[in-house]
Amino acid sequence: MKTQTYTLNLGPQHPSTHGVLRVVLELDGETCVGSKTHVGYLHRGIEKILEDRTYPQVIPYTDRLDYLAGINNNLVYVQTMEKMMNIEIPERAEYIRVMLAELMRIASHMVGIGIYIMDLGAISAVFYPFIEREKILDMMAHLSGSRMTFNYMRIGGLAHDIHSDFKPELDKFIVEFPRFIEDYHRLIDDNEIFIARTKNVGTITAEKAKSYGLTGPNLRACGVKHDIRKTNPYGIYNRFDFEVPVGEIGDCYDRYVVRMKEVEESFKIIQQAYKELPDGPVMAKVPKLIKPPIGDVYHQTENPKGVLGCYVVSDGTPKPSRVHFRRPSFNNISIFDEIFIGHKIADIIAILASFDFVLGEVDA
Amino acid sequence: MYGKGLLKGLSVTGRNVFRKRLTEKYPEEKPQLAARWRGGFQLDVNECIACSLCEKACPNSAIKLTTEKNEENKKQLASYELNQSYCLFCGLCVEACPKKCLRFTREFETATYHKEEVKLDLFKNQNLSASASIYAQPEKATEAARKEEK
Repeated sequence: MKTQTYTLNLGPQHPSTHGVLRVVLELDGETCVGSKTHVGYLHRGIEKILEDRTYPQVIPYTDRLDYLAGINNNLVYVQTMEKMMNIEIPERAEYIRVMLAELMRIASHMVGIGIYIMDLGAISAVFYPFIEREKILDMMAHLSGSRMTFNYMRIGGLAHDIHSDFKPELDKFIVEFPRFIEDYHRLIDDNEIFIARTKNVGTITAEKAKSYGLTGPNLRACGVKHDIRKTNPYGIYNRFDFEVPVGEIGDCYDRYVVRMKEVEESFKIIQQAYKELPDGPVMAKVPKLIKPPIGDVYHQTENPKGVLGCYVVSDGTPKPSRVHFRRPSFNNISIFDEIFIGHKIADIIAILASFDFVLGEVDA
Repeated sequence: MYGKGLLKGLSVTGRNVFRKRLTEKYPEEKPQLAARWRGGFQLDVNECIACSLCEKACPNSAIKLTTEKNEENKKQLASYELNQSYCLFCGLCVEACPKKCLRFTREFETATYHKEEVKLDLFKNQNLSASASIYAQPEKATEAARKEEK
């Protein structure tokens, strides 16, 4: 009997592509024999828009890159500008920044893990992490007045000091969160269906991961111990005691394990930062009109999704000449075309979900 | 034993069945919004000195205002339009206001039926009756607002 392969469009409107990613699959029966990933359906031209904005006006746009963790995007931009202008920011602002960045890392991983397991067919496993995320978003609303696009950091510190409603909620979160972690491990870790769907699926070797420029939990799951917070500490991260969890073989299960461990490490950092939180101002003395010297600066931070880099070129005017972001999700999904081949469609869904990418960041 | 992990997971689900419900009965019960909520806008026209700093602070040029000279030859506001369809709700205008007369409100049901209503004419309709947010307001006002709430 004569057989032939056929083409299947996965996306751009498909719930498992987490936004508007389009994957054109060449299938032989159920098995993938060729794949091409298309991006650009969410392109808003942010980098071009930023060329016509003043330096402080850039910050609200950074929220819209990785919209699951806006604070971390704020952080990389303001730290780049502080590096460029040699601004020292107050201690209190540094501690609050670390606390918020780690809180948002937890919030982002809660989506990453929850949606991942929902794509594999579980339902209750998505609601428990979202309850925790909800608490973090409520805390953020007390600080910044918004739940998603925070615009909370400023060049030289923070927009405002923390609100008095924030502390009781954080206290409550610190008490309740370990219980959630324990429950979630019970719910997922030994689940036979989850293991069958994820073990030895989408395995990536360390060499291949490095050659494709993977970063973040996806790289660490392959056994590469690379975390900017440890290898090249920014802000005050060298003051905290935390581990960098790594996986073993880089399959979908390892990516889940690494994210769960990372959440625990982030929780450790939050507790340390909260304990040592000093008093004082949250904003350094910064000129009203921000006009950095001519030059360019590159700075990178560890985002929930991977290494987020920011490159700013200044021509001495109040508007940047060029702002570029190295978005981790964009580099991470570049490996898809290679690892999909040989997998069944259901496994491809598992791989897509395990990568935890955000299309706002891929397309910018 | 195969299935042990599933049962272990089900025990967690079982425990959560008896958990207190977290969902809000939204239209009947209004949510408790944060004090710094960034919802709608209000403008105290009598306080405004027409400095147009809010207009300059806006990243998307959503604010358009015009000024005129009054009898004492002082600058005053003639019109003030805030086009919410361009608004990022970033709050840079509210932070820039030296008189703190442009404020956020804690409104949240801001959907409209007609697109003309998306443009806010804050000169004609100052929207002062809406509950004001303390976003970027000076400390004293913050404290006063807290006392009122209590």
